[in-house]
Formats: sequence, C-alpha cells, structure tokens
Amino acid sequence: MKKQKVYKSDKDILKAIQRSNDHNLQAYMFILPWLIGFVIFTVGPFFYTMYLSFFDVQKTGLGWQTTFVGIDNYIVAFFKNLAYIPALLEFIVVEVTYVPAIIIASFILAILLNRDLKFRGGFRTIFFLPVIVLSGSVMDKLLDTGSTRLSDFSENIIFKMIMNYNMGAARALLALFENFTMVLWFTGIPIILFINGLQKINTQLYEAAKIDGATTWQILWKITVPIIKPTALIVTIFTIVQIGMYNINPVYGLIKDSMYDLAGGLGLASAYTWVYTLVVLFFVLVALFIFGSREKKTEVKLTSIQRLNFDRMREQIAQGNEEVNHA
Amino acid sequence: MHKLKKLFTKIAELYQTIYNRRNRYKKLIGQIVIYVLLITISYVFLFPLFSMVSLAFMSPEDIINPEIDWLPQSFYLGNFTASIKVLNAGKALFNSIWFSGLLAIAQTIVSALTGYAFARYEFRFKKILFALILVSFIVPVPVILIPRIMMIASAQDMIGTPLIGTVYPQIVMAIFGQGVNSAILILIFFNFFKMIPTVLFEAAKIDGASALDQFWHITIKMSLSTIVVVLLFSFVWNWNETYVTGLLLRNNTILLPTQLGIFDSIFTTRPPEIPGQGGEARLSEAYKMAATLLTMVPLFIIYFAAQKQFVEGIEKTGITGE
Repeated sequence: MKKQKVYKSDKDILKAIQRSNDHNLQAYMFILPWLIGFVIFTVGPFFYTMYLSFFDVQKTGLGWQTTFVGIDNYIVAFFKNLAYIPALLEFIVVEVTYVPAIIIASFILAILLNRDLKFRGGFRTIFFLPVIVLSGSVMDKLLDTGSTRLSDFSENIIFKMIMNYNMGAARALLALFENFTMVLWFTGIPIILFINGLQKINTQLYEAAKIDGATTWQILWKITVPIIKPTALIVTIFTIVQIGMYNINPVYGLIKDSMYDLAGGLGLASAYTWVYTLVVLFFVLVALFIFGSREKKTEVKLTSIQRLNFDRMREQIAQGNEEVNHA
Repeated sequence: MHKLKKLFTKIAELYQTIYNRRNRYKKLIGQIVIYVLLITISYVFLFPLFSMVSLAFMSPEDIINPEIDWLPQSFYLGNFTASIKVLNAGKALFNSIWFSGLLAIAQTIVSALTGYAFARYEFRFKKILFALILVSFIVPVPVILIPRIMMIASAQDMIGTPLIGTVYPQIVMAIFGQGVNSAILILIFFNFFKMIPTVLFEAAKIDGASALDQFWHITIKMSLSTIVVVLLFSFVWNWNETYVTGLLLRNNTILLPTQLGIFDSIFTTRPPEIPGQGGEARLSEAYKMAATLLTMVPLFIIYFAAQKQFVEGIEKTGITGE
C-alpha cells in the first residue's frame, strides 16, 4: 500500500501546494527574452568589467587584444591621472549633500501635499514636471547659463561664519544652496512615493494617538516616521542612483571620455567604473544601514480550489490533534 | 437661582463659540501658511523655466539693456529661428520621435512579458530573479556599457557593416529587456498584473485556453491603461537618455537632446550668419535657452496631455510596499 504523505503543519501543506502550482516551463517561456538579455548584456558585462580592469585592452585588426597588467590601471586611476580622484571626491560630496536634502525636502512636501488642499493636483503636477523634462543636456544648459541660481548666498553672514570654521563644508553647502532648484528637481518621484507611503498609514493610529494626548510633532516622530522607513529606504536608493546619472556627476564624463576612444583606454575605463561602482554600493549599504530592514513576509498564491483544499486539510489536522488529545 | 443657572449656561455657550472661532482662525492660519509654503516652493521649482522662457524671448537689445530683468520689451523670435537652424530641429525632432518610439514599443513588450511571468506563475528561482531585477537598477550604467561596446565592436567586425553609430545595438538591447530603467517598467506591469484575480485565469484554463491565450485575451486586453503608462514613461526616458545614446549613436543620427548637448560646438563652428555670435556671453545664452526650450516642447506636450498617467504610473510600481 502506498503510504500517504502526512502533513504536519500549515507550512508543509503550503509547500506541497506551491510545488503543484509551479509552472516552470510557461514562466520561463515568458521571461526568456529578458533572461537572455540579462545574462548577456548585464550579468556578463558586470563581471567582465572587473576582469578587464586588470588588463590593457587594445583594438587590433584581429579583434580585442588584452594583456595582463596587474593593478596598473588602478595605479593610473589613483596616482597618475590627476582628474580622477578630484572627480570622485566631487561625486561623493554631491551625494552626501544632495541625497539628504532631497529626502528631507520630498518628505516635507509629501506631508504638505497629503491633506485636503485646493489645487493639490496642480502642485503635484508642478513638482512632477522635472521628471519628464529633465535630461542630461537640458540640465547641462541650465547649470551652464546659471538659470538654476536663485540668488547669491556667498555674502550671507551665516555662510561666512561657516566658511571661517571649515572651508570645505562651506563650499559644499554653498553649492547645495545655490543649486537648491536642482535639489527640488530631483524630488519629483520621491514625493509621489512618499505620498503613496503616507496614504497607506491607517488613520486610526493618528486618532488613537490624539486621544492619548499626543501632539502633532510627537505623532510625526513616533508614528509617521517609523512607518515610512521602508519607503524612505527605497527613495534613498533611488535618489543615490538617479543623481549618478546626471551631469552633476563628474565621474561619468571622465569615464565617457576614456570610453569614447575605442583604440585603447577601455582597461583604464573599467578600473574607473569599478571604483565608482564600489562607491555607489557603499552609499546603498549606508542607506540600508540607516533605514534598517523590515520583517520578512511569506506570501503564497493559491487558486480558489487549492484554497478550499487548504482549509479542508487544516481541518483534518485540527481533528487529528483533537483525537490525539482525547486519547 | 434659576436666573443664575441661565447666566452660567450663557457664559459657557459664549466661551464655546469664542473657543471654536479661535480654533477656526488657527486652522485658517495654518492653511494659509501651507499655501504660502507650497506656492514659494512651486516658484523655486519653476524658476529655471521662467528665466529660460524670459531669456529666450529677449532681443539682443533687451539683453544688453540693464533695466530689463524679466519681461522683454517685445516678443522677439530671432533666438528661436536661429536655434532651429543650429539644431537642425525639423530632422532632429523627426528622428527623436521614431527613435524613442521604437525603443519604447520594444521595451513595453518585453516588460509586459516579464512582469506577467512574475505576477502569474510560481517557478524555480523566482525570488532570486526578482531580486536581481531590483539589483540591476542599482548597477551604474558605465560598468556594463564597456563590455557592451566591445561586443558591438566585435559584432560589427564579424558582420562587416558598422553598428556603432546606428540604432541597432540599442534596439537589440531594448528587445532583450535591457533598455533605460527597464526594471521600473517591469515593476509597473508586475504590480498591475498581480491585481488581476486568478479566478479569471482558472476559468480560462478550464475552457481550454493556452498560456499565450491567457496572456493575450485576459491580461493584455485588461491592462491597456497600464500599457499606455509604460509606453509614455519609456518614451520619455529614452528621449532624455543622452549618455548611452551619445556613445552608441554618436552623431550619425541627429536627435534633439544630443544636438542640444553639442549645441555650443555647432554654434561656434558655424559661419557667422547669426547676430551676436561670439559676442557677449549673455547673447549666446539667449540662443542656448531658446534651443533648450525647443527640445523640451514635445515633452511638455506629452506631459500636459497625460500628466495623470505619469503620476499614477509611479504609484503603480508599488515599491512602497502593500
């Protein structure tokens, strides 16, 4: 006689059902184009660039010729090329100043917009506009002609005080304030994401806190901020990546210049990009560290028939347990 | 005694109304503060656009005139006619539209297929692959671009026809789901498809519909609005993408944004037929602003026609969690 399988818990049942739910063939048929592209055009290149960064790459009549040069490319990047390290530092300064400013600005704007307002849609339309019209070259032109400059802050007294204290920090702050419009222009998508997150908060929580005598300020810090943390994480990572793509990131330009020339320099360009990638990943890790992780949810999708089965099996288990208890 | 009681209730009522009114004033002041804040911020948001528009319509005399700050004296269109010439705007616009459109269509189809598989089926390595989609968004473009360029260069040696400088490499990458921001596009589809009740698919399956039938007749026909959203986003992102396009397309097919990127160099190398060329810096700034405004016009039109779809599209990514 065939031994019937005994399910001990809900988890076992779910696992069994899930297994019967697998549609490997169909699913892989659907994702095949993406999967091929992902392996060939993204995963492969990702590691190949790491490999290339230790080589000298030359284009010859026979194709690509690579010769191992050890860490020469990195030595050039760090010590011989005078443009790379300053560019990288500038990128780091931009990330460190812009990202917090963008997150805070978009969070405040989301809170302002997340209430009953007239022209709410109008404001949202204005705040989202840059997402559509901003391209690298447009931003280039705007920065170039100084159209983003609201006013000159360098004569400001507070600013001068900071300047006396720390020149570097002062310069970073000045860049941030002078380009505050640029900061706002990056908040388009973060605002929408934050509003979306805020709307998912149960309003009963606020009411309960109010009855217990919490002030608006306390509600903001004790309820809204902790709940919005996962959203903040996503917004932060998104912003870190977004900023890298525009011309305020001097590293991209440098890499582009060394990439444009097919005859050589690709090994060096690989070294540049790898160091750059590590910096970006570092920022992402910092974001993960600050905004923490949320608990894992297990989610299983059942068909309606399977749900019936699941309920029946659970009942059987319950009955079985009862019988055991009686005996 | 009775009178006293009446008096007290009256006082209490009076106090109540004063209190209410004060509360209402407080609320009103709060509202006003919020509106002032939002309007100020909106001004900061739009400031570059305002200054751009104002400068673009200024005639050379207006620009030199120090008394004129925002409003030009006359509606001067010379900057635009000059920029249209420099940008080769007609051809560039035409090229940009079909280039972005083609890539958008390819991206939309692949994202729909991929998003559908993740939303509808359970399969092996699903979680890992889904995580990889998200991770692929973080990877900086240059890292994967170097080997891609090498691949393309090798391929063009093999075929014998030039590929760099043509649209083919980008189209191939879009077809295989590796275009601009394709992770976000997949997410939009994934979240919408997930909302379709599975009962529909089961019913179709019982009636003998194949996997493709289920995809086409149920999923696609139900999600036309989402398809429009993805198409729009993909179009705009491909339009605005200048980094990869600049490297792969070079200047063989002129596009509006890339033309704008090299506007300065075209502007200065052209024979001096345009007034103000090589003159004062602010004069050429007016041309730059006019050119920038021109390249943005198509996007403005798209945005104001479909702003609701754009905002909803970002909400539909569902990456803020359920």
